[in-house]
Amino acid sequence: MRKNKILIACFVAPTVITLALMYVYPVVRTVLMSFFRVESLTAPTDTWSFYGLQNYFTILHNSSFKTSMVNMLLIWLVGGAITLTLSMVMAVILTSGIRFKKFFRAAIYMPNIVSAVALATMWRQYVFNYDYGLLNDMLQLIGLDKFQWMGGDAKFWSMLAAFIFGSVGYYMLIYISGIEGIPTDLYEAATLDGAGKVGQFFRITLPLLRGIIKTSITFWSINTTTFFLWTKMFSPVNTEGSTIVPVVYLYDTVFGGKGVVHRDAGAGAAVGVVLTIIIVAVYVITNVLIKDGDLEY
Amino acid sequence: MKEKKYRARINWGKELRLLPGYIVVGAWIAFTAVILFWIFAASLSTSRDIFTGKVLEFSTGFHWENYANAWKDQNVSVFFANSLLYSTVSCAGVLIIAAPAAYVLSRWNFRGSKTIRIGLVIAMSVPTIMIIMPLYSLAVQWGIKGRVLLMALYIMLRVPYTAIYLLDFFSTLSRGYEEAAALDGCSPARTFWVIMLPLIQPAVVTVTIFNFLSVWNEFFMALIFTPSGDATPVGVGLLQIVNSMQYSHDYGGMFAAVIIVFLPTFLLYIFLSEKIIAGVTGGGMKG
Repeated sequence: MRKNKILIACFVAPTVITLALMYVYPVVRTVLMSFFRVESLTAPTDTWSFYGLQNYFTILHNSSFKTSMVNMLLIWLVGGAITLTLSMVMAVILTSGIRFKKFFRAAIYMPNIVSAVALATMWRQYVFNYDYGLLNDMLQLIGLDKFQWMGGDAKFWSMLAAFIFGSVGYYMLIYISGIEGIPTDLYEAATLDGAGKVGQFFRITLPLLRGIIKTSITFWSINTTTFFLWTKMFSPVNTEGSTIVPVVYLYDTVFGGKGVVHRDAGAGAAVGVVLTIIIVAVYVITNVLIKDGDLEY
Repeated sequence: MKEKKYRARINWGKELRLLPGYIVVGAWIAFTAVILFWIFAASLSTSRDIFTGKVLEFSTGFHWENYANAWKDQNVSVFFANSLLYSTVSCAGVLIIAAPAAYVLSRWNFRGSKTIRIGLVIAMSVPTIMIIMPLYSLAVQWGIKGRVLLMALYIMLRVPYTAIYLLDFFSTLSRGYEEAAALDGCSPARTFWVIMLPLIQPAVVTVTIFNFLSVWNEFFMALIFTPSGDATPVGVGLLQIVNSMQYSHDYGGMFAAVIIVFLPTFLLYIFLSEKIIAGVTGGGMKG
């Protein structure tokens, strides 16, 4: 037993150190920092001065932050509704008994595997390009005028569309594995009772997928609150009001971006805490609203 | 065409009912294929042909030199080597740290074991923005930077996921293996490395694939810790190339760079898609 104790200690120590160094210490320090006036990230702790909730008031009164929150809400609500619906449609189609299911599944999931930077570049530099882009080519083909996909407010929706296209595959996989877990005799019984395919979907599939839908909403919320890469790729040099999201605001405030006069690490930390609270809140709310259907079947 | 006849003979009615499904999925995939095909064609074309819409004509031949230019002049070779270094080193490093812990946690209940388990699960869902700022100041304070810093960060970033994933698999192993090994005089540590870890090899392979992909595609930390310079991996490197496009106007070269960045994980996916998809829906996450 003594021997085991040494083994346990040696085996578990690197992981414990990782947890402490990479997660516990940084999270605690970020939370603390959000209550202090800290200009530079590298400022030693003895130069921090207590600031109460002032950092939170600062960001809540900042117009860029407010815009970024609105954008995030739009991504969460509109993007979430479209992504989760499309994923469900794809999952139902792929489990309906069509051929080449494995190929289709793999092809739709593919954007989740390849570098998102490469993917975003493809969308920005080709699909949405004004001069030679795919969408404008298609518009011209049917006799319509070219459209500025990357201009003004359209940019946000273009970015969201590209993001949705890449996200669908992941939620589709989750839904497929959920649907495949439902025993087929339920559907057979329903068919015998005269229920149509649509009725079966709303009365059998959806209710039994409650737990999985809950998980997918949580994942979507985490993905939305940590949304960063696509904005950075669609507005790479200057942050723009049309595409700004909270993490980009945080990045600019803490690490400096164009138009940021003085850096404010404390405010950045406050953004991080607010986003984390949102994630936890969404998690709790979905758990209360959607009761886990731990049905035995 | 051959497929259609075959289908008609089997069950034409059923396939017809499924037709809307085929159309939706088919259109989705056709869209993806058109994008990829065009990007590849553009990577072999010239800026001039791209802007005049003549990408698919190749009137001046295939410009493979776009790849050479991207690789050498645009520094893609450096980015690529860095990403390869980060991905492989962190895959190995994370196993060395997380596998022993996963094993011990699956085998013994000791004081703090439950805390560590819960800690790992919570750590998996801590957003990067909550840890990035103190890590930055620590790195500056300790004078760690460049490649060493990113390797260390990526290893630690993947520890919680890897440990939790492997823990599930270790718990399925019978204790008989350890008893037999102990009878043969094999020390517990040796038993772990020589017997137990190889037994869960499929899980190790799956988790390594995911770690590799995740480190290869990581962007946020890379952007913060290597805004420019020798340590830049492919993602941030590609962003720099795209940003410099307004000065260089080498669109063929940019699309070549896109393909170079895109290919490694794409090829990996072509060979391992079944395993990857099974890993997404099976292990790590439960509904």
